[in-house]
Amino acid sequence: MIISDIISLDRTQCSVECHSKKKIFEIISELAIKQNPSLNQVDVLNSLLCRERMGSTGIGNGIAIPHGRIDGISNVTAIIVTSDHAIDFDAIDNQPVDIFFALLVPKEQAESHLRALAGIAKKLSNKDIVKAIRNAENKNEIVAALA
Amino acid sequence: MKLERPVTIVNKLGLHARAATKLVELANMHTAEITLVHGDNEAPANSVLALMMLESSQGKTVNIICEGKDAESAMAAVVSLIENKFNEDE
Repeated sequence: MIISDIISLDRTQCSVECHSKKKIFEIISELAIKQNPSLNQVDVLNSLLCRERMGSTGIGNGIAIPHGRIDGISNVTAIIVTSDHAIDFDAIDNQPVDIFFALLVPKEQAESHLRALAGIAKKLSNKDIVKAIRNAENKNEIVAALA
Repeated sequence: MKLERPVTIVNKLGLHARAATKLVELANMHTAEITLVHGDNEAPANSVLALMMLESSQGKTVNIICEGKDAESAMAAVVSLIENKFNEDE
């Protein structure tokens, strides 16, 4: 998977003012429907929240990968948000989160889901990339760090 | 003590994020060093990112390596988690 196929400047937001888990999910779902009017924001939000309730997607080191399965999309779609302040996210290492790499995945596509996760994991396990995302001053710098 | 054994991934979604997180939680409860090997790639079982990079889907076989004092109970726990589909329905 080429990461530039799933990310987009329109679905990326840098240093949002946010202090709660709930608000970050609202921001993500708002960004998700940009460029895709066929998506319903409430459906996206519910799908992400539903997955989150099964266990935190905070995977450690201040990073979370919220994701949900969505009816009616044909490709994996990523939404990237960084927050000004790290947010308590019940992450596996109990550290607050300031990098949110959200994914909408088509239903019934286990393989492409795994491929997308692997592609993202490869980027986010690179300390230089994570540092560049965290230090980015605008969304262009976030997208550039991942390209 | 060092133990090694192959296990087949049986849950439908494979080693996805939630499954990987469960493995990490389990690894954190043991002192033994637990490693998953899939083809040419290997991942420490205490890293969600590393486990997701294995891209282990349903039907694939991974080798589990446990090394350390409680290797035996770690191996039993890992094998049981994978064979029980990470407690997922399918």
